[in-house]
Amino acid sequence: MHVTFWGVRGSYPVPGPDTVRYGGHTSCVEVRGDEGGCLILDAGTGLRGLGQKLAAEQGGQPFPSRHHLILSHVHWDHIQGLPFFQPAYLPGTRIGIYALRAAAEELQQVIGGITRHEYFPVPLEAVPAEFEFHEVTPGKGFVVDDFEIRPVALNHPFGAVGYRIDGDGTSLAYVSDTAPFTGLLHKQHFLAGPEEASDEDRRVLRAMRDDLVGVLRGCNTVIFDTQFLPEEFEKFPHWGHSTPDHALDLVVGLGVRRLVLYHHAPSHTDRMMDAIEDTYRRKGNSAGIQVVVARERMTLQIGQVTDPGFGP
Amino acid sequence: MKLRFWGVRGSFATPGPHYLRYGGNTPAVEIVSDAGRRVLIDLGTGITELGKQLMAGEFGEGRGTLPVLLTHTHLDHIQGLPFFTPLFIRGNSIRILGPELLGEPLDQVLQNQLNGHYSPLYGLENLAAGVAIDTVQPGSSLPVEGFEVTAAELPHGGMTVLGLRISVDGKTVAFLSDVEYPIAGPTPAALALASGADLLIHDAMFSDAEYASRAGWGHSPVSSAIAVAERAGVGRLALFHHSPDSTDAEIDTIVAGARRRTSIPLFAAAEGPAFPI
Repeated sequence: MHVTFWGVRGSYPVPGPDTVRYGGHTSCVEVRGDEGGCLILDAGTGLRGLGQKLAAEQGGQPFPSRHHLILSHVHWDHIQGLPFFQPAYLPGTRIGIYALRAAAEELQQVIGGITRHEYFPVPLEAVPAEFEFHEVTPGKGFVVDDFEIRPVALNHPFGAVGYRIDGDGTSLAYVSDTAPFTGLLHKQHFLAGPEEASDEDRRVLRAMRDDLVGVLRGCNTVIFDTQFLPEEFEKFPHWGHSTPDHALDLVVGLGVRRLVLYHHAPSHTDRMMDAIEDTYRRKGNSAGIQVVVARERMTLQIGQVTDPGFGP
Repeated sequence: MKLRFWGVRGSFATPGPHYLRYGGNTPAVEIVSDAGRRVLIDLGTGITELGKQLMAGEFGEGRGTLPVLLTHTHLDHIQGLPFFTPLFIRGNSIRILGPELLGEPLDQVLQNQLNGHYSPLYGLENLAAGVAIDTVQPGSSLPVEGFEVTAAELPHGGMTVLGLRISVDGKTVAFLSDVEYPIAGPTPAALALASGADLLIHDAMFSDAEYASRAGWGHSPVSSAIAVAERAGVGRLALFHHSPDSTDAEIDTIVAGARRRTSIPLFAAAEGPAFPI
């Protein structure tokens, strides 16, 4: 199994000279199994480039192809690539979309809502591809291609899910977007600032953390929302994102071999990312975990950590 | 009058090394009068950087006033809205003037952009700044203090968008983006907006060769931009709304080709410093 990062940025795409090396596209990761199975994690602006590659692999021919989009949630930065996913415009394509139903609205209605005529010229219903919508329930595993997938609830406004993916004898987890599991519990209302957690909130947070720890235990590689540096998190603890320290604290002692820092703040320039990589690679080393900063178009083999000092 | 392009890219933002000279942000244009009054056209990703810079002045103190002219609400023209920092400062006043789209009230369209599914802002009412949203009628002059602004309908695939003519300090800029004319050529409304403008900013998403396979998409080939510029007798032409597939080198080629076909001075719009009109 290997993964390729097509978008590593959070919130919104950031073109320009300061994001050339780490990349400016929003969340999208391609997972490939050894037998050719393919999962797409999130549909941010990175999906456009991935779609161009997949359509090219298909040779532009309208023979049937299947794609699986596994969504953490549907904030804009995680779905706005979908209308620009080239295979969707090739007749015969089937696209399965897996997502949390966070409210009463059907998934089709919510995801189709971004291509209503006021936002985009081609509504989902008019696209040649056939879409299938699958509701994801945290704690309830499912199988896609050769992958076993375990969804787990995350702490993010309106609800989000992380996924552990097992295949080819190894494992990967995608934990984005999430706030830490101490402090406030995100629900479905606007937060102008940090909100005091009730006893019940704290109980829910502990249970969420326990479930996540259970899912991540023994997982080879964990991709984690580490949007903020600690000093930024101090200012925006209610925005639903974590720091690399939160991620490290969570995975230490679980047998995780590699932590991938992901969903970078749009304000983080390449130079800042270099410094983050340097700081957290050292922190990871002392905890026995290889820390890697996600970059656009970077491919990682899962289950084969090759850095000196880290066995597979 | 000064103008600054904060976003010139059409459809989709293009980060990466091949888009650095013209820029990868989606549409956002700022016009500032000699008296220091400001008006903004469209809310693409380009406004995120503008927002940060505005915070250094009165917008950071909650004393900023900003009129925004919205041509339409396709995603590339509104996707910067939730990340425009002056919206999070109490006391700022931001007024968005735009068209009704195929029967959808403008405030409802922007409200839905921020609903809980799609955004942690959960709705316009949670923006700390005062936000007023006014639906304007094409064919009318728009109430933007300190500027003379006229709006007219332009055809954009199966819908229409607002084209704009903005005058101040004795200078005029025409903004005609996201437009595809019928085979008969530029519409009278488009020519009237552009008539004698000092600068015409015009959709030129495709080279004429690319356009052959993209007719009906709602965007112009370079030849349409040149036709409007020549027939309206403008001073200068800025090619705008570059395709996300056009690299810097490809835009250079489009500009060189366009210059050979007209005597009107022209250039490709690029992110960069403000320049005088």
